[in-house]
Amino acid sequence: MAVNGVGSSVDIAVSGLRAQSQRMQVIAENLANAHTTRTADGGPYRRREVVLRAGGDGPSGVTIETVRPDMENPLQRVRMPGHPDADADGYVTMPNVSIPSEMMNLVVASRAYQANAAVLKRYQDSVDNALELLR
Amino acid sequence: MGGDGNVIQYIEAGLRATGMRGKVLADNIANMNTPDFRRRAVEFEKILAQAVEDGDLEALRNFEIDVTRPMDTPVGPNGNDVDLDREVGEMIKNSAIRKTYMRLLGKVYDQMEIAIQTQR
Repeated sequence: MAVNGVGSSVDIAVSGLRAQSQRMQVIAENLANAHTTRTADGGPYRRREVVLRAGGDGPSGVTIETVRPDMENPLQRVRMPGHPDADADGYVTMPNVSIPSEMMNLVVASRAYQANAAVLKRYQDSVDNALELLR
Repeated sequence: MGGDGNVIQYIEAGLRATGMRGKVLADNIANMNTPDFRRRAVEFEKILAQAVEDGDLEALRNFEIDVTRPMDTPVGPNGNDVDLDREVGEMIKNSAIRKTYMRLLGKVYDQMEIAIQTQR
């Protein structure tokens, strides 16, 4: 008798949780470094972004393909004459982090996280129902 | 008692199909932010009803579950077409159907147990 699918549904929901959780970590890192002008490799912080990918063929959840620096959005040149990292013209090159953007991304990732958590809860209930058959 | 052999096959087919659908819906939700992802759907009710009407035991035993990408839903800016509210609605419906099949199965087993005991 096949009462199938529940195990893999749990794996799929968990993959969603992990992906969104990692995404939120990257967003937090961007926010923390929104004004960092000196990194370990020298130069200002460059925003990092997460690339999501659906798993294999057939429904198999989601994975993070890669976490990469955002090369599309340019670093910002801001006029700050007194700043220790200001250039000869008094401009500082700041990170390409847009705080409103990151907050939006955080909201989206958070909502997706909650959705996956709700799926997980539902499958927990489903397993409990199946177990009742055995009583 | 002739038809009862079909009942278990029918319920099993329904359980396999709703199980698959649950997996597909979980996957849609897990991928609600994945760029260029299109949702999948599982169709089985009509095929199942037809197989039962035809009394087709073979079809029930090897019940084929149809997993498709409807491609008929509007796509967002990142190429994704998953609407969370819709997936949640589908999931709730699917859970209700699945629960019904499980309870039915429980009832069939109970009846079988009664039949076995009365025959002692």
